[in-house]
Amino acid sequence: MKNEYLPHPARIESIQRESFDTQTFKVIFVDEKLAKSFNYKPGQFMEISLLGMGEAPISITSSPSRKGCLEFTIRAMGKLTRAINQLKRGNVLYLRGPYGNSFSLEEVKGKDLYFIAGGIGLPPLRSVINTVFDKRENFGKVKILYGAKTPDELCFKEELKVWQKFPNTELLLTVDTQDKDWKGNVGVVTTLWEKTAMDGNQAIACVCGPPIMIRFVVQKLLESQFKEKNIHISLERYMKCGLGKCGHCNIGGKFVCIDGPVFTYSQIKELPAKEHVL
Amino acid sequence: MKKLHNSHPPPYPLPSREGKIGEGVFVIPCTVKKDRVKDLLITASEEWDAFVPWKGPEEDVQFVKLPDEKRKNFLDRLSLEDGAPLIPPKTVIFPQLESLFEFEEGKIKEMIPSPTKKLLFGLRACDVKAILFVDDFFKRNFEDIYYLNRTMNKLLVLVGCKTPPRDCFCTSTKTGPFLPVPRSLGEVGKEGFDLQLVDIGKKYLVEVGSEKGKEFIGNYQDFFEEASKKDVELSKAMKKKAEEAVTLKIDFEKAIKNFCEDKISQIIYEKIAERCIYCGGCLYICPTCTCFNIFDGKKGDRGKRSRNWDACVFEGYTREASGHNPRAEKWLRTSRRYEHKLKYNYLTTGMSGCVGCGRCLATCPVNLGMSKLIQEVTK
Repeated sequence: MKNEYLPHPARIESIQRESFDTQTFKVIFVDEKLAKSFNYKPGQFMEISLLGMGEAPISITSSPSRKGCLEFTIRAMGKLTRAINQLKRGNVLYLRGPYGNSFSLEEVKGKDLYFIAGGIGLPPLRSVINTVFDKRENFGKVKILYGAKTPDELCFKEELKVWQKFPNTELLLTVDTQDKDWKGNVGVVTTLWEKTAMDGNQAIACVCGPPIMIRFVVQKLLESQFKEKNIHISLERYMKCGLGKCGHCNIGGKFVCIDGPVFTYSQIKELPAKEHVL
Repeated sequence: MKKLHNSHPPPYPLPSREGKIGEGVFVIPCTVKKDRVKDLLITASEEWDAFVPWKGPEEDVQFVKLPDEKRKNFLDRLSLEDGAPLIPPKTVIFPQLESLFEFEEGKIKEMIPSPTKKLLFGLRACDVKAILFVDDFFKRNFEDIYYLNRTMNKLLVLVGCKTPPRDCFCTSTKTGPFLPVPRSLGEVGKEGFDLQLVDIGKKYLVEVGSEKGKEFIGNYQDFFEEASKKDVELSKAMKKKAEEAVTLKIDFEKAIKNFCEDKISQIIYEKIAERCIYCGGCLYICPTCTCFNIFDGKKGDRGKRSRNWDACVFEGYTREASGHNPRAEKWLRTSRRYEHKLKYNYLTTGMSGCVGCGRCLATCPVNLGMSKLIQEVTK
């Protein structure tokens, strides 16, 4: 029997600053054998810890189609994530996982894909987006709608430019509050509906962001003829174990950590509404 | 993606508990004299870590391990005659606090409990059912190595309640005061107990629930005698009397049905929320509650990662680092507390998360508890 609670040391290879409080860490397992054999799926997360500081569930933002390193985008929010954001290249953090289900790409081959993200919701979707771009020919149209509070808080600023250049791909950005250099859209992410055609008939939507954003995005998607089962949403909950044991992420009879974090909208509708899922 | 609910169809039948004494797979019942029980425990503790209900200096009873020395003195405070101890035997199988691993200068050393043989002697029927429930939970999905190692070699000896405590309602939940004896091979081990003891005056009649239980009697046969016809008659009368002594009756099946069909109004939770002080006491002493927190402790370069019991009624239980809390309102935590036990546990496992022990009511400072809620929702 495997001890799932034991974390494994991983060394920070590089750090990229995304915004004033958010950085992306590229890490590699210290144990070479583990580094080689490690596998995951887009949408999964890991429990990241510093010994003595505790653990937190963080989405994997790198893509399994690009072997080598694992990447995590972490916003300095609580005690642990503030400590992680103080780390330097060469420092060690501890990982266990991967946990949770994933965005299933097998079922969506040939279809149009819409990614809608808010703020720190883009990192989990980036894992799927890059997996899709690495097999670009397998999918139809790709549209990425991404909103952040300010231009500074947009993650992966350089990569966004790369994504834009892929064929049959549209990237739409928006911010809540603009600065003097911003020339793009201003407003919440749903205001981007006015800028592009959203046709949900044969399309799949992947959504991640704060609950209030998801709620409005889902309404818009339904208006655009997306089917409930084709709206995939990555949920977030306070979590401790990641193994369906500690109970914290329970919603109704489901655990976000093992039954999720990705749920279709039709599945979410079966969860108790009073739990403020969205 | 898995299906959202493994639904058990209505009308939500509960297992029948018509067990007949002196019958079953392990036919011959035997007895053990009450004045021999302490010697049996001392002898067995050579091979087993024996846990017994023990009355502490403050008169509170809980399951404590028989020490290596002065065992006779220790057993003077053995408490088999009182009702179920307020602190459940969960403390033995799933301790309030346990270390997962230690670390020093970045090196991790796991702290897996050893799979020692554990004899839990003097469990009440409700607690046997609760252990069965918790066993199932820690094996489901990911296997929890800490729990499984600690509990893989356990023997459960049930001593049925002679005078059930005032707040319990095990005849309504069909989890006591005695459990049915297996009558076919398919039923062996199903009820959870290995041995079941029935108080018949100066002796206990011993019923066997599993191969392991039978083996235990074989290994310590000097302590056991063959039961007479009269002993068996007495035990039947005793069981009947015990059952009648459980006076608190509630409509548990109807409650489960109402919960599963979402017939519980928000007003009921709000009424509880007005009174409940959200201390979590009812959940800490609940024999089926398994929620835990994981935390680190550190001094210099050395420290431990541990887990301890947590409770879903706490405000911080679902609060995220951003401050967002999906269960910020009190009534939502109350609804979670009851729906988990009476709806979701039932829908996913076919077992409800309440075994009718009544501890939640007994310990509640504001006189709330499962039985009160059930009376309210089945009016």
